[in-house]
Amino acid sequence: MDNYNDDLYPLALLMDELKHDDVSNRVEAMQKLDTIAIALGPERTVKELLPFLNDVAQDDEEEVFAVLATKLGDFIPLIGGHENCEPLISILTILASMEEPLVRDKAIASLNKISLDLTNEELNGIFLNLIQNLSQGNWFSKKIASCGLFGSIILKVDSNTRKDLLKLYLKLICDDYPMVRRSAATNLPHLINLLTEFTETSPNDVNKINNQDWEIISKMFQHLINDDQDSVKFLSIDVLISILEFFNKINETSFNSDFLSSALKLIKDESWRVRYTAADRFSKIAVNFVNNESDLYQLIDPFIALMKDHEGEVRKAIAKQLPDFTRLLTKYPSTKVTIINKILPIVNELSQDQQEAVRASLASTITELSPILQKEATIEKLLPTFLIMLKDEFPDVRLNIISNLSVVNETIGINLLSTNLLPAITELAQDHKWRVRLAIIKYIPKLASQLGEPFFNDELLSLCMSWLWDPVFAIRDAAINNLKELTVIFGSDWATREILSRLLDQSDKIDEDKIDYSNFIIRLTCLFTITKLIPVLDFKVIVEKILPFINELITDNVPNIRFNVAKSYLVLVESFIEKKLELPINEQELKKLINLEILSNLEKLQNDEDVDVRFYSTKSIQGINKLI
Amino acid sequence: MELDTDVPMEDVEDLKQVSTSATSSSTSGKQPTGITSIGGDASVSDAAAAAKKADLNVSSVNQLDQWIDKLSQCEPLAEADVKKLCDMAIEVLQFEENVQPVQVPVTICGDVHGQFHDLMELFKIGGPCPDTNYLFMGDYVDRGYYSVETVSYLVCMKVRYPNRITILRGNHESRQITQVYGFYDECLRKYGSANVWKLFTDLFDYFPITALVDNKVFCLHGGLSPMIETIDQVRELNRIQEVPHEGPMCDLLWSDPDDRGGWGISPRGAGFTFGQDISEQFNHTNDLSLIARAHQLVMEGFSWSHQESVVTIFSAPNYCYRCGNQAAIMEVDEQHNRQFLQYDPSQRPGEPTVTRKTPDYFL
Repeated sequence: MDNYNDDLYPLALLMDELKHDDVSNRVEAMQKLDTIAIALGPERTVKELLPFLNDVAQDDEEEVFAVLATKLGDFIPLIGGHENCEPLISILTILASMEEPLVRDKAIASLNKISLDLTNEELNGIFLNLIQNLSQGNWFSKKIASCGLFGSIILKVDSNTRKDLLKLYLKLICDDYPMVRRSAATNLPHLINLLTEFTETSPNDVNKINNQDWEIISKMFQHLINDDQDSVKFLSIDVLISILEFFNKINETSFNSDFLSSALKLIKDESWRVRYTAADRFSKIAVNFVNNESDLYQLIDPFIALMKDHEGEVRKAIAKQLPDFTRLLTKYPSTKVTIINKILPIVNELSQDQQEAVRASLASTITELSPILQKEATIEKLLPTFLIMLKDEFPDVRLNIISNLSVVNETIGINLLSTNLLPAITELAQDHKWRVRLAIIKYIPKLASQLGEPFFNDELLSLCMSWLWDPVFAIRDAAINNLKELTVIFGSDWATREILSRLLDQSDKIDEDKIDYSNFIIRLTCLFTITKLIPVLDFKVIVEKILPFINELITDNVPNIRFNVAKSYLVLVESFIEKKLELPINEQELKKLINLEILSNLEKLQNDEDVDVRFYSTKSIQGINKLI
Repeated sequence: MELDTDVPMEDVEDLKQVSTSATSSSTSGKQPTGITSIGGDASVSDAAAAAKKADLNVSSVNQLDQWIDKLSQCEPLAEADVKKLCDMAIEVLQFEENVQPVQVPVTICGDVHGQFHDLMELFKIGGPCPDTNYLFMGDYVDRGYYSVETVSYLVCMKVRYPNRITILRGNHESRQITQVYGFYDECLRKYGSANVWKLFTDLFDYFPITALVDNKVFCLHGGLSPMIETIDQVRELNRIQEVPHEGPMCDLLWSDPDDRGGWGISPRGAGFTFGQDISEQFNHTNDLSLIARAHQLVMEGFSWSHQESVVTIFSAPNYCYRCGNQAAIMEVDEQHNRQFLQYDPSQRPGEPTVTRKTPDYFL
């Protein structure tokens, strides 16, 4: 008896919680559905839980349904395998027919998941029935649901049934409800891709795709591109791409001229949403025509028309396609010349587009044109545009150019790039937007490793040092990181000569070079810089230059400096211990150094009047003692 | 001065409709035992406070560091943790003074108003706490979407680094105002009950109302009061209470400087407007170089008035996500040099950047 009660308990608990007034409680209860099914075991899950859920699925809120729909997708093992799938599918069918898209989508996803576990027989029976019923349903939500399910059986049926299914699908494509047509159009590319895959993997199958199938699909496509709703029509572009890919795979080009005229029609559509989608997928369309010179040529003028479109969103989308499309054009001499003659002039226009989002989009791709144009044309035609865009008033435009310069560098070489761009970079380094300055700093190490030390010292070093005194902390922080990365590139000796000498030895400098240590931010920045450099500097430099500077700061008036000194000591010892084997002194000498120069100072700081100084010095002492 | 023309100033008259009975948790008789209100005893309470602050033990430090990590991701603390935090914060704040002394160097900030990501931007500009010392002049909650995270973060920092950060009380740190301008609703939404709102508004009573930077810069949320001539008079107030509807404590949190001389009636319905003569007299009497205050939206983030005897600092960029204003903070270094740093709203991935001239389709 006890046992019986124990068994019943999970279900009773679930039922109880699903009656809770608060939706969030019911959602939470539903989240535990699989645990309950495990507790009940397969048999009772089928006999007791599923009937109960069948009722729940007709009487609750959408949030609960959504969880239920998701959970049921993983239920096949919990009900003892696919043989018992029918009640499960019927619950999901109820959910899939709901008007709420969230619930519907989850239920469809779960049904598709379940279909993977079913045998061909079950698919041809239960699933086929399900799809037929749904697609001829009396209400739009059922039809929408059916559109998402065709994919799971289209390759599992014989060629006759497949033809029936496609005819059914054609009906959905022509449905009176735009929502149904939308759903059918959205799912169609997936169906076509499945057929393509099948044809590729099993070219000689008895059920292979034949012309009759394609006639139906072609009807679907014709319907879609002539749909009176632009929200349906724009979906036909993805359908077109899938169809083109199929024919490309089977090397069938006889329909290409038809498809090309369809594509051109869509590109010139009067609805901007259709043109936008065409622009967004332009290269994907174009790549399918690349094997025919005249077809490809016919796409150039439409491409330019999109670049001149009066909708900003369309221009923004087509700007993104620039590198991929021009790369295709390099295939034939006749198309290649149009890049410089026809496209580049429009690129120049776009670089001064009135909408900043368009310019920013162009800026993110324009640099990729340089390998396509190669060295001479890049210098002659593109560099002037880069320079204009580097001075754009909108920071994103400048940023996008800078962060994509490396590809230009590969084409024209660092010297040409830097002589042309250095003035612009120097200007940006003083931009009043700190994020622009930040972007430049992050580009410096990349530039430095390619420029080489002498050139870098002459042209960029003083800029790098000046960032240390920027009013914005984030820039100072980036400047410090930058110096560390530069030290990794140029070495410890370089850092000693070029950085430390400027930061630490101020005695013999003339006035304008002198660092004003009376400002605490400057002292703190110096401390941060040398602390950051410690791991990449030689031992000798640390002992002779760094340590004395840090030691001097332990009596600083500002507590913030003193507790950062405490932190720096720990970094110092960590770095010593890490490189223990490479050090020029033995372990005894090192311990003596640490005791004498570091721990004794930290002990002084431990008696500081400020609580944070005491805290960090204690923490560093503990850290150091753990290390040695 | 460029005043806020876009967002209506909060009006105390409206608030009188919010019945005080709803906030029956008024704090009469909450005068903490340790506090001394006479200026001469300041050093004693200072020493007491110092002794108290040193008591932060290892587990509290770890706890606070964990909370700060969590909050930096803009994730609110659990209700039980807020309770612990507020208890710890009372332990620190009750020993602070009505005129809390602050050392230079310090970075002075104005209204934040629940714009958490912009507060993180502020630390990117001014440097992280505790490396940089901060003084915030109130209005952490209301208006923005992340009042809970903002105030939890600042209070955590205050408890963790009491010497490094000072948080004053603004007119929004009050039971009444927060019920109208968003903090109450946000607590309800994020915690399912008003408990967290109650904890924080009870804590707000302990926030110091003014600060004095190196005896030279007087910092407060609103402005001067006709009932206060010397800073010592501020020290004599009993501040541990809900912000009153009138009187000196109300004025300090509500008043605004004005181009007209003398005292004027404030359009806000609480506090006063005060002219250049008043500011100059106050600065002279108390040997001050500057009054720094917040409370008003200024388009450049900071704005001088009264021939540089008063400065308004506002640290919520694009206030209410639509005003298009810059924010600013003021760094005061060891030699009392001042530097203003202006900044724009932070960039948040996934959120559309709101450009400067956006139609006011919400609020």
